[in-house]
Amino acid sequence: MATSPETVLDGLDSESRQMVIDTVRQLKKRLLTKEKILEFDKNEFFPEETIREMLGPEIGLQLLVIPEEYGGMGGGTLDCAEIIREISSICLGVATGFFAIQLGSDPLRVGATEEQKVKWLGAIADGKVLVAYAVTEAGAGSNLAALKTKADPVSNDAGKIIGYKINGTKQFISTGGYADFITVLAKTPEGPSFFIVEKGTKGFVQGKGEEKHGIRASNTSPLSFTDVFVPVENLIGGVPGQGLKQANEVFGYTRLMVAAMGLGAGEAALKIVIPYAMERIQFGSPLSEKQGYTHKLVVPNAVRIEVAAAYIEETAIRLDSGEKDLQVEGSIAKLFATESANKTADDAIQALGGYGYISEFEVEKIKRDVKITCIYEGTSEIQQSIISTFRWKKTRKTKGKYYMAISSEMEELNNVMNDAGCLFYSLAASALNDTIMLVNDNRLTKEQYIMFALADMMTHVEVGASMARKAMNFTKSGDPEAKKIRAMSRIFANETSQLVARNILKILMGSGVFDQSSISDFMETVSYNKLICSFQNIIKDMDMVADMLFERG
Amino acid sequence: MKGRLQKVEIIVLLKQVPATESFVEIADDGVSIKTDRVNWVINPYDEFAIEEAIQIKEAHGGSVTVISVGPEKASEAIRTALAMGADKGVLINDPAAEKCDCLGIARILSEALRNVPFDLIIAGQRAVDDDNFQVGPAVAEFLSIPHISMVIKEEIADGKIRCHKVVEGGTVILEAPLPALFTTQRGLNEPRYASLPGIMKAKRKPLDIKTLADIGLDAAKAGKPKTKIVSMKFPPERKDGRIIEGESAQAKAAELVRALSEEAKVI
Ligand SMILES: Cc1cc2nc3c(=O)[nH]c(=O)nc-3n(C[C@H](O)[C@H](O)[C@H](O)COP(=O)(O)OP(=O)(O)OC[C@H]3O[C@@H](n4cnc5c(N)ncnc54)[C@H](O)[C@@H]3O)c2cc1C
Repeated sequence: MATSPETVLDGLDSESRQMVIDTVRQLKKRLLTKEKILEFDKNEFFPEETIREMLGPEIGLQLLVIPEEYGGMGGGTLDCAEIIREISSICLGVATGFFAIQLGSDPLRVGATEEQKVKWLGAIADGKVLVAYAVTEAGAGSNLAALKTKADPVSNDAGKIIGYKINGTKQFISTGGYADFITVLAKTPEGPSFFIVEKGTKGFVQGKGEEKHGIRASNTSPLSFTDVFVPVENLIGGVPGQGLKQANEVFGYTRLMVAAMGLGAGEAALKIVIPYAMERIQFGSPLSEKQGYTHKLVVPNAVRIEVAAAYIEETAIRLDSGEKDLQVEGSIAKLFATESANKTADDAIQALGGYGYISEFEVEKIKRDVKITCIYEGTSEIQQSIISTFRWKKTRKTKGKYYMAISSEMEELNNVMNDAGCLFYSLAASALNDTIMLVNDNRLTKEQYIMFALADMMTHVEVGASMARKAMNFTKSGDPEAKKIRAMSRIFANETSQLVARNILKILMGSGVFDQSSISDFMETVSYNKLICSFQNIIKDMDMVADMLFERG
Repeated sequence: MKGRLQKVEIIVLLKQVPATESFVEIADDGVSIKTDRVNWVINPYDEFAIEEAIQIKEAHGGSVTVISVGPEKASEAIRTALAMGADKGVLINDPAAEKCDCLGIARILSEALRNVPFDLIIAGQRAVDDDNFQVGPAVAEFLSIPHISMVIKEEIADGKIRCHKVVEGGTVILEAPLPALFTTQRGLNEPRYASLPGIMKAKRKPLDIKTLADIGLDAAKAGKPKTKIVSMKFPPERKDGRIIEGESAQAKAAELVRALSEEAKVI
C-alpha cells in the first residue's frame, strides 16, 4: 500500500478495514451466495430483506459511510472504495442498492445543518432505512441544470416560510421504489436545492421498477411529486439554492466510488476467466497456453484493471489526506476504470466461448451489470468533457507546468527504475502537453471530438503515472508483486504511448487545419518517432505477465 | 425449574490458516508452503468454536478468551474473533514455537492455560491446513480434563456438559463434568459475521502478546518436535490428452483399441 506513515489519513486503520472486507466476503457464504445472486438477476428481484439484513445489527455495513459523530464507523474514502469494490465483485446490483444509501446521504454529509445530520445520518446509522438519491429527470440527465421539478415556498400568515411544495417527476432512481426517505433535487426561486422526502408523504408516489439490461437486483423507479408538502426543516442546509454546489462537491468522491464498483466487477470477471483458461483443454492443451488467446483476451485487461486499481487507491489516499478539489481525478478514475471493466467483462464472455454466453458461468451477468457504471453518475462522454475542459484550462493556467511536472517526475523515476516504462510515460506526458497547447492556439477546443481525444490522452498519462509510482513503491518495499507491477507498467506505458501518438495524428490530420510541413514539425517536436517505438519487446513482456497470471514457470 | 446457571468462563483455541481457495505453492525448502500470496483466515472449525462460546456466554454469562499460537499476523484472526464477540485475546508469538509440531503447540497452549481459571475449552476438531486432529485432545490430556470430540450440539447444566456427536449410523450423547474440552464438528452452529459495530469495539478489547518465557516455558525444550515433515508433494499431474489420428473412423477405432490394449493395458 502506498500510505506513507507520516501523514495521518482519514478513516479506519488497515486492520479494521481488512476485517470489514472479510465480513463482506463472508456474505458470499450465506446471504449472497452465487445461487441467490443468479436468482435475483433472473427474476429481476430486488432483495429488500437481504439488503436490510446487511444494514441490521448483525452486519451494519452502512456504518462505514456515516461519520463517527453521528453513530457511524467513520470510514474514509479508501475504506469506502475498497468495500464497495468488494461488494461489487459479488453483485453490482446489490452494490447499487448499497451505494444508493451512500449517495442519498452525501448531500446531508456535505450540506446539512447539525440538527439534520443528527436526525437523518443518525437514522441511516440505525440501519432501519433504505435511502435513494433523486436527481435525474426525463429531460435532465447529463444536464442536471435543466431540471424541472419545482419546490415552491409555503408561507404562514406572518409571511414566514414554513415549508415547500414539491411538484414534478424523477426518473431512473436507484432504490426509488423502496426508499424510506430520499434526497431530491428541486428548483426553488433561489435555485436548485436538496430536500428530504419521506416515504408515505402525501402526493409522493414511488413508481414501479423498470425492466433492465443489467443490475437487475437493484430497483430503478420513477418518482412523482404532486403538491408534496415538506417542512422547511427538510431543506438540506436550511438555505435554498445550494443544491448544485452540494452535488458538485461530492462528485470527486462519488465518481471514485463508481470507479471502484467497475473495478470490482472487472476483477470478478478476471477471477472467473483465469482459472477457466487454465482448466479448459482444446486442441490438447489448456487455453491459457495459447498466446493469441491470452494476449488478446486476458493480459491487456488484467493490466488495465491493475492500473485502475493503482489510480483509485492513489486518489482515495489523496482525499483521505485532506486534499480537496479532486473532481477531475474522480472523472478520470470513473472513465478509465468503468470502460476498462466493461471491456474486461466483454472479453470474459469471449474467453469462455459458448460457456461465456450461458448464465450459470456468471460472466454474461457481469457484462450486463458493469455497463451501468459507464452511464450513471455521469456518462463516459460527460467525464471526457469534464476531463478535457478542466485539464486544458489547468494547462493554460500553469503555462504547461501541469503535465511537464508529470513528464519530469517520470523521467526521474526512470533514472532509478528503468524497467517500468517510465521513459514512455515521460515522453507521452510531454507530447500531451504540446498537443493541448497546439489545440488551444488553433482554437480547436471548440471541437468536442478533439477534446475527447485529448481526454483519452490525459486519462492514460495520469493513470499510467500512478501505475509507475505504484511500481516504484512496490520495488522499494520489496513487495513480492513488484516484478509483476513493473511488467504491467511497461505494457501500459506502451498502450499510453500508442494512444497518444495515434490521437496526435487524429488531431493533426483529422482537423484539416494543418499543412504537411507543420504536421512534420510538430511530430518532430513531440518525438513522435520515439513514442511509437514503445512496442519494443512488448510481446515478451506480455508473455511474462501471462506466466505470472497463469502461475506457470 | 432451577435458577440461572453459573457463569461459564470459556477458552477458545484458535489457529490462523490459509483460506482454502488460496493458491498453494510449495516453498523451496520442500517442507513448507509459500505464504506471500496466501489469504489468511480463521480455521473454519475454530469459527464454530468461537460462535458456540459466544452463544454459551450469551445464555449463561461469563467470558470468552481466545488464545492462539502463531506469528504476529495471527493477531488479525484473534481481532476478528473479538469483533464477533469474544472478550479477550492472547497470542503466543515466539520464534521457538514456529518449529513445534502439533504436540508442541498443545504443550504451549496447556502451559499458557495452567494458571487461568476456566470452565470450558472449545477447539476446532482440526486445522484445515495440517489436518492433524491432535491439538484439542492433547491440550485436554496435558491439563488432565475430559475431552469430547466432534460435537454437533451441547448443553451445560449443573456443572456438567452434555454433548451430541455423530457416529457411524447414529448419534452418541456424552456427558462430562466441567472443566472440560470439546472439539467442533460442522453443523454445531452457524458462525456470525464480524459486524461493523463489533469491529469498532474489537479495537478496544485486550489482546496480550506473550513469549514462551512469559508463560514459563523453556523455549529450547518446547520447540523440539516429535514428528517432522519430510517432504510435501502435489497430487500427480494429469497427463495431456491425446488425439488419435487416422484416415477413417475405422482406422481411428482400430488405433484406439490397439492403444488401450497395448499401451494403457486396460483391455
Ligand atoms: C439503472 C440506473 C440507475 C440510476 N440511478 C440513478 C439514481 O439513483 N439517481 C439519479 O439521480 N439518477 C440515476 N440514474 C440516472 C443516470 O445518472 C442518467 O441516466 C445518466 O446521467 C445519463 O442521463 P440520461 O439517461 O438522461 O442520458 P442523456 O443525458 O440523454 O445522454 C444520452 C447520451 O448522450 C451523451 N451526451 C449527453 N450530453 C452530452 C454532451 N454534452 N456531449 C456529448 N455527449 C453527450 C451521453 O453520454 C449519452 O451517451 C440511473 C440510471 C440508470 C439507468
